[in-house]
Amino acid sequence: MKIEILKEIIKKNSSKEQFAVLTNITNGNSEIFELGKPLSKEFENYKKEIENYYNLKKNGIIKETQIFIHNHIKPIEVIIVGAVHIAQYLIDFIKNLNFVITIIDPRKYFTSEQRFKNVKIINEWPKEVFKKIETSSSTALIVLTHDPKIDDPALQHALKNNFFYIGALGSKKTHTDRCQRLKEAGFNEEEIATIHGPIGIKLGGKSAPEIALSIVAQLVSETHKL
Amino acid sequence: MKKSFDETIFEEANSWLKSNQKVILATVIQTWGSSPRQIGSRMIVNEKGDFSGSVSGGCVESNVIKECLELIKNNNPFKKIEFKVSNENAWDVGLSCGGEIIIYIEQINS
Repeated sequence: MKIEILKEIIKKNSSKEQFAVLTNITNGNSEIFELGKPLSKEFENYKKEIENYYNLKKNGIIKETQIFIHNHIKPIEVIIVGAVHIAQYLIDFIKNLNFVITIIDPRKYFTSEQRFKNVKIINEWPKEVFKKIETSSSTALIVLTHDPKIDDPALQHALKNNFFYIGALGSKKTHTDRCQRLKEAGFNEEEIATIHGPIGIKLGGKSAPEIALSIVAQLVSETHKL
Repeated sequence: MKKSFDETIFEEANSWLKSNQKVILATVIQTWGSSPRQIGSRMIVNEKGDFSGSVSGGCVESNVIKECLELIKNNNPFKKIEFKVSNENAWDVGLSCGGEIIIYIEQINS
């Protein structure tokens, strides 16, 4: 592999878009593939098969060829509402996984840079933020404030937009009250049941890092169901 | 959706290259049966034999490193290495899980 290709892979990984690396295993030549961009002579005869593997996000030697394809998949967006203590541990655990994180909290004293280094923080009310940012059914939401003013608008947005993972921190009672409010806001039981609340898999721990770990475990497990 | 949670190996390779080390990239390109790591798993090796990442669960790494050092020594650009089921000698390199893998090793060069 040429060093230029390696550098391009690093650059493209940080642009967070899907691409693939092609390698001709009979001569070692590599090339980057992006949908819609032309391929060199070496690979253009196999364009159809390459696109097929790319669309299926499949890695391997393309059938009846000597081309190895390795897909670099777009990371998943995770929105955390509430720059609380647990969020600090969440960021810590998530940093080795292929997620992109945004933290939303309107309370300025929580979102200091000293608490959250190198994380995208939006210091506004969730309701305003969701008017501006792009989300989809492959976005995840984790709400941690258990303050209805802050959490509820985020939950409503996530339910309306079919986020693949929605988790809400709070006791069983907090969650029952939350479900009631969502019902009053017009969501049906089936929709409300998609919220993971109380959040996280059952680990048994009650400390902030243990709760964060149980949330990350649940998030990863739901990601693999996509 | 297939997810890759492990894509920092290229940054590491680049930092090794910046300190003027020769770097070999090893990739799992084919598997049969039960293999410890999936296709696309990567490992890097430098001329000192330092390595990062993985291509198996520790079963064949030592052999891959040896092959990588050989590749640097002979200044060959790439090589395909096949690993099959190990025999009964536990110290032999091979896959105790009964799988087969092909690993592609290549020099990163300018």
